[in-house]
Amino acid sequence: MRPGDPTPTSRNLNPLMHPFARARERTRALNAVKMERMFAKPFVDSLEGHIDAVEVLCRRPGSLTGVASGSWDGGIILHNLATRKPIAKIPQAHKGKASGLCFSPDGQRLLSCGVDRNVKLWAVGDDNLNTEVPLNVFPGKAAFNSIDHHRTDPLFATASNTVQIWDETKSAAISNLTFPTSTETITSVRFNMSESSVLASIGSDRTFTLYDIRTGKAERRVVMQMQSNALSWSPTFPTTMLLASEDHNLYTFDIRHLDAPTQIYKAHVAAVMSCDWSPTGLEFVSGGWDRTVRIWQEGKGRAPEVYHTKRMQRVSSTVFTGDARFVLSGSDDGNVRIWKAKASDKLGVVTARERAAIEYREKLKERWRIDQEVDRVARTRHLPKSVHQTNKLKNTMLEARRVKEERRRKHTRAGESKPKAERKKLVIAEQV
Amino acid sequence: MDSLIAKADAIRPLNKKRKTSHPPSKGSSSKGKGTSSNSDYTLNAVVSRTSIPKSLQDSRPIPEDGSSYKHIANKKLRTQLNRQAAQGARAKALLEDAEMLLMDEAGGLEVEGEMDRTWRVGQSEIVQSAGQEAAKGRREYKLDGGPYRSRYTRNGRHLAIAGRNGHVSTFDWQTGTIHAELQLQETCRDITFLQDHSFFAVAQKKYVFIYDRDGVEVHCLKAHIEPTRLEFLPYHWLLASVGNPGYLKYQDTSTGQLLVEHRTKMGACTTMTQNLHNAVIHLGHQNGCVTLWTPNLPHPAVQLLAHVGPVVSVAVDPSQGGRYMATAGRDGTVKVWDCRNWKGAVRDWTVRGGGDPEVEWSARGYLAVASSGTVNVYNPPSIHTPFHVRSPPPLYMTHPIPHRPLTSVRFAPFQDILTVGHSAGLSSVLVPGSGEPNFDSREADPFENKKARSEREVKALLDKIQPDLITLDPEMVGNLAPVSKLTTEMTTADGKPKTDIPYARLPRIDRLRVSGKLDEAEDDAAGEEGEDEESKKRSKEEREKRKMRGKGKSMKRYLRKQRKNVIDPAAIAIRAKLEKQKEEKKRAAAAAAGESGEKKKPSALDRFKRSK
Repeated sequence: MRPGDPTPTSRNLNPLMHPFARARERTRALNAVKMERMFAKPFVDSLEGHIDAVEVLCRRPGSLTGVASGSWDGGIILHNLATRKPIAKIPQAHKGKASGLCFSPDGQRLLSCGVDRNVKLWAVGDDNLNTEVPLNVFPGKAAFNSIDHHRTDPLFATASNTVQIWDETKSAAISNLTFPTSTETITSVRFNMSESSVLASIGSDRTFTLYDIRTGKAERRVVMQMQSNALSWSPTFPTTMLLASEDHNLYTFDIRHLDAPTQIYKAHVAAVMSCDWSPTGLEFVSGGWDRTVRIWQEGKGRAPEVYHTKRMQRVSSTVFTGDARFVLSGSDDGNVRIWKAKASDKLGVVTARERAAIEYREKLKERWRIDQEVDRVARTRHLPKSVHQTNKLKNTMLEARRVKEERRRKHTRAGESKPKAERKKLVIAEQV
Repeated sequence: MDSLIAKADAIRPLNKKRKTSHPPSKGSSSKGKGTSSNSDYTLNAVVSRTSIPKSLQDSRPIPEDGSSYKHIANKKLRTQLNRQAAQGARAKALLEDAEMLLMDEAGGLEVEGEMDRTWRVGQSEIVQSAGQEAAKGRREYKLDGGPYRSRYTRNGRHLAIAGRNGHVSTFDWQTGTIHAELQLQETCRDITFLQDHSFFAVAQKKYVFIYDRDGVEVHCLKAHIEPTRLEFLPYHWLLASVGNPGYLKYQDTSTGQLLVEHRTKMGACTTMTQNLHNAVIHLGHQNGCVTLWTPNLPHPAVQLLAHVGPVVSVAVDPSQGGRYMATAGRDGTVKVWDCRNWKGAVRDWTVRGGGDPEVEWSARGYLAVASSGTVNVYNPPSIHTPFHVRSPPPLYMTHPIPHRPLTSVRFAPFQDILTVGHSAGLSSVLVPGSGEPNFDSREADPFENKKARSEREVKALLDKIQPDLITLDPEMVGNLAPVSKLTTEMTTADGKPKTDIPYARLPRIDRLRVSGKLDEAEDDAAGEEGEDEESKKRSKEEREKRKMRGKGKSMKRYLRKQRKNVIDPAAIAIRAKLEKQKEEKKRAAAAAAGESGEKKKPSALDRFKRSK
């Protein structure tokens, strides 16, 4: 054997040679979950620069580091996540709140809209932003709430009291989309990423509406129990959309079956203000009025990862980065915070041996989740006292409501009132 | 919008084949549509891109092991369970394959003629015919300082010896390197290595002392008073000692904490061994009892009257997962017990010459019995097969040692060596076939270097098993818990199957039942309203009077009041059913009594019968 050679090993898989195999594996699993919790340091950095609350965040297509944020003072900042420094600042892009931001598909132009009834088009270089004058200004008739760019064409949609479609080269809206009986304020609008002419919007009258810009009509409208605050199309399942609702829950809908959501996501203890899918489509992030950011697995409606800090206020915007490794949150305290998407992830180079160890630990965790103690360690999260108390209160209230409902049912004639599944309660009406 | 829906319904996995210039025929395309019409295309859109390549997929069929989860309604869970079962079955099949890769085979003694016997082969003959390396195991350590006890490390490389008069030494017996040599000048009763050869513990006259590899005293365990025997549980990092005061003490060597001390209540104890497979400590006592101890129970898990006189030696068979135990008594008998069924010994026999027999099992199940100047070795299957339970099993090998008494018998791990300690030192003899030929370098590696040793120590510390997991059944971890008696399963009156209702949704009476607060006796009494109601009422009152004594009287009364008016249809139905059953039973009993009464002849013992 030469120096540096790996030491020769010999295996004998006879179970008698490995006493306590199960107990030792359990110990290892317990250590793995404890280590995961020990290394869970999700907060990476906070990007400062805004004077007022951050209202909107938007990632730059084709770039892992470019992110734009707009704030209540009308300022827009283009951040570089790698250096954690602002690339460019536009202090007074809008008068009043900058309510919407989006990049053109090539990432070279930035569109912003504000409550000052203007949409502005800015030219963005690789590491600079022309802050002096916008390329173009599109004046509107009402305050804008949201903006989104078409996937391929030079078109964009804005949300005010109607949904308007604009051409980048024309100064006036080319079409107005509205549901015939609607008198709402549209709060958010998003293009579908796969069928790029399909558009979804949510409004203050507790509805969400689907439009097609080729027909120029609203196709479907769904009235729900409560208003939604944000929506996001799934990047991998084109028919799946996610709604962040005022009733503390998030819902995924398959737009082929709009009568009920496919999954309810329950954990927030106040209104959910924003949501965004990971580019992988397997998880998504949401930020809430309860000052927490939560990261959900698609299809798993409870026990999300929860992030909070003492200084973070109401979270009004959240966004995943393009590599799905980080999550950004913009909150009322004027900071944009960078979080890891997996709290115990190691940043930096991971060697092959380390990678193997990490994968082994993951498998152990998955396998021993049935063990009570392992599961308890894996599940437990520290919550701020206010959130914890609110959660308790909320549970009490829900329990009381359930009991009341049950008693009412008990004292009505048999079969008169049947219990309704939680999923079926949400949608009030589906309009075509 | 409609186009999106239409497309979503029509998306299918992209064809893997490269596009050809000519379009595919219409027939084939329609066929493709027909076959995959039932699945959701959107969901399967990425399958062909994300699945493992065919060449890497396991092509072998899933072995049938009969576990099917068809009864599980939840589709996700069912798929997961099926996948797990398949994985487990494949792993099992692979394990069988891995046995072919084992390098070495166990040796053994064979005779040529039918009338020849293996025990007639002497050590000199074995040494001659064994290989050069193997023959090195035959040694005589000539030492004075009383009868010696010895102990090997888990990898079989190092040997620790302790003479009665205080000569202690640890060394690598293969290379002959001495690590430590001490003259302690006081009685040493036992010695054991801790996790590896870097520490060893000695049971000295008054206390247990721990020395490091170079023989520097690092700890004096004053809690262990007058120790006689030591055992180290390697996976739990526990040092167990028992001594003349009769206390079994566990010391955690990784934290230094004295974990627990058990009072055996059986006086001085000089016999201890551990079961390697469940870390249970076996003690042999002066009154002939063998007791099995775990740190969690203040009393023995098993207590067994094994011998008429004192028990002098206990050993557990590691080759069968700790199933067999051998004990030897001062009365000169050796008994083999089945640890799963304590009803009598599997085999017992008397050794010739008497004295205190010492017993020890090897890793492959060879049993060595040392008594009065000879060591006898028996080989496995015949030890457990009770052809004639009162006779010794056929002898495999024997070796005379002239130096009495023989005080300790140890097999070297991964070697065919038996080391016997006696008054003139130690003798190592070759016992072909006794050692496990293939070591696992992840468990114990005889060839490990310094770095590997330290790495192993760290790993072992991380994998340390908590002492409260020591039980008689080591497979308890990861199994399902036994079903609690306080279930929330409701029995329905109308014959519907039982369903598990969450506690919060149970009616109050069932909540009380589940939480164990329901006064069952009173409930039953309330249901029975029969012929002599008066007497029953009185008795009930009496009962209540008795019951009312104690604390919380008013609370109890209040609770009873609360329960009084609850009419539970399920409970009533059950009560009726029970009543019916009782009635039937009574009738059946009466019928049986009547029939038998006719047939039975009057007996003289009838007057002792209890009259009803």
